[in-house]
Amino acid sequence: MQTAYFPGCSLKTIDRAYDVSTRVIAQDLGMTLVDVEDYSCCGAGELKGEGLKSHFLPARNLAHLINQGETEVMVSCNVCYHELSRTAYAVKQGGVHLDQIQSMLKAADEPQILEQPTVRNTLEYLVNVIGLDEIAKRVRVPLTGLRVAPYYGCLYQRPAKMLSSVQIAGEDTEHPHFMHDLMAALGATVVEHRAETTCCGGKNLLSDEKISGRLTGRILSTAKSSGADVLALMCPKCAGGLDALQFRAIGTVGESAQLPVMYYTQLIGIAFGHRPEELHVGDMESDAMGLIRQFLSEPAIR
Amino acid sequence: MAKGSGIIERSLLQDDQIMEEDNLVMDGIDISGRWNTMLKTRVHSERDLDSWDDVRASAIGESIDNCIQCGMCTAGCTVAHEVPGFNPRQFIYWVRVGRKDDLIKNADIIWRCVGCYICTNHCPKEVNTAEVIESIGQWLRKQVPEKMDQAYLANHEAYRHQLETYGRLSLPRLQAEFLSKLGRQKELFGPDLRQAAIRMLKDGRALKTLLIGRPRHWNRSRSVLMESVQT
Repeated sequence: MQTAYFPGCSLKTIDRAYDVSTRVIAQDLGMTLVDVEDYSCCGAGELKGEGLKSHFLPARNLAHLINQGETEVMVSCNVCYHELSRTAYAVKQGGVHLDQIQSMLKAADEPQILEQPTVRNTLEYLVNVIGLDEIAKRVRVPLTGLRVAPYYGCLYQRPAKMLSSVQIAGEDTEHPHFMHDLMAALGATVVEHRAETTCCGGKNLLSDEKISGRLTGRILSTAKSSGADVLALMCPKCAGGLDALQFRAIGTVGESAQLPVMYYTQLIGIAFGHRPEELHVGDMESDAMGLIRQFLSEPAIR
Repeated sequence: MAKGSGIIERSLLQDDQIMEEDNLVMDGIDISGRWNTMLKTRVHSERDLDSWDDVRASAIGESIDNCIQCGMCTAGCTVAHEVPGFNPRQFIYWVRVGRKDDLIKNADIIWRCVGCYICTNHCPKEVNTAEVIESIGQWLRKQVPEKMDQAYLANHEAYRHQLETYGRLSLPRLQAEFLSKLGRQKELFGPDLRQAAIRMLKDGRALKTLLIGRPRHWNRSRSVLMESVQT
C-alpha cells in the first residue's frame, strides 16, 4: 500500500527519532511511504499573523503532493499536520481566499492545487486504515506492565472543524482516545492522567520560559503522579518542552516532573520487536533509553 | 492554595476605571456610603475603531464579528490560568468598542497566547478565537513595537528570518538566532544546552541540521513571502 508522507523539517533533523520510528513501523505494517517532494517548512504556526500569506508554505507542499498524483498525505508531526490541515480547509472553503492562495503559488512558479487534498495524522491513519487488530497481530514484545501515559497535546484534535482526525475519524475533541486504544493493543497499561490535551506552551517555548516551565511541569508531574513510567508523545514541539527542555520543568515544579518521554511510534516499534537503538530511543534527553533497557531486560515486570 | 483560587473570574472592568470617593457630595447632597462607587464615563468620541477595522479586514480576524461575549474562550483558556489579565473575551471587547488605550496598555500580555485553540474549539459562534487574538497581537506589534516584549519580538523575527532565508527550519540555527538577538548567545554553550549540543554533534543530528538545504528555486517563493502586501 503506497502512502504519501510528509515528515517536515524537524523530523528530518533533530527529531529523526520520530521519523525513523514512523518509517520502521510503516514498513512492518506493509505500507510504502512516499515523501512529498521538494518539501518546504509548513510555517510552524509562526506566519499566521501575516494573514493569507500563512497559507503559502503549506499550500506549496500540498500543491507538490497533488502534482505527484496523490490527494491524501499522512503527517506525523502535529504542527505540520495542523498547518497543512488548516490550508486544506481553506482550499475546501474556496472563494476569495483560495483564489489568493492560487495566485501566490503562481507568482512563486509553483504548481496549482488542482484537487482537494486530505491531510491525515499518522495516529489516526494507523487506527483507521491499518486497524488495531492488524497492529496487535504484529506485536512480538507485548508492553505488558509498562505504564504508558498518552499525551496528545493541542493540535491533533483542535481546532476540530479543520482536522481529519476529527472530521474523518470521529476522534473525540475533548477526550481523544486513539493513542489509548493503540497502547492497549500493544499490551501496555494505559494511564489516565487528565493532562492528555493540556497545552505544553510550545508556541512560546523560546520566548516565554516561565509559562513554558509551568505548563510542561504540570503535565509531567500529573502523569508521573498518576503512576506513569513513560509519557507517549506525538508532536516534536511538545518534545522540545517536555523532553529536551525537561530540565526547565524540573526547575519549576521539582523532581516530580522527571519522567521518561518517548514518541508513541517508538513504543510501537519496541512492541514490534525492534531494538531501541534502531528507533533512536537514545535521542531522547529524558531517560527513555534506561527505562526501555530495564523493561526489556527484566521479564519479571512483564 | 487559597479556597477557590482555581476558578478564574475575569471582569471587564479595570481598576483605573472605578472611582471611589470617601466623601461624595453631589448637588449639595451627601451620597457617601453605598453610592460612592462610580465608573469613569466613556464617550463615543473617545472610540478609536482602527483596531476593529484592521482585525476584521485580516484573513485570520474576520470571524471577530460573530462574538457574543459569552466568555467560553476565556473559561477554558490555557494562559488565562497562568497570566493575570490575560482575557481573550476582553481583548475582543476592547477591539470592538475601540478601546485603543486599553489595548496598548496590555500590549505586553496578548502575545502570550500559546495557540492551543481551546478557545476556537469552545466558541459556540464559530469565532476562530485563537487566530483573532493573533490578529490583535499583530496589530499591536505594528502599532506599538516598542511596548512589546523583547523575547517575543526576537522569537518572531528569528522565525521569519529563518523561514524566508532557508524555506526550512533548522531548530538549532533558530535557537542561535533567537538567543543572539537578545544578546544571550552564551547560553548556547551554557550548562543547560551544552550536553544536548555535544550529543547532537556526536550522533550526527547536528550535521543533518546543517545539511537541511533549501527547496528548489526558493528565491521565487521567498519574494512571495517577503512582499509587503498585507492580506
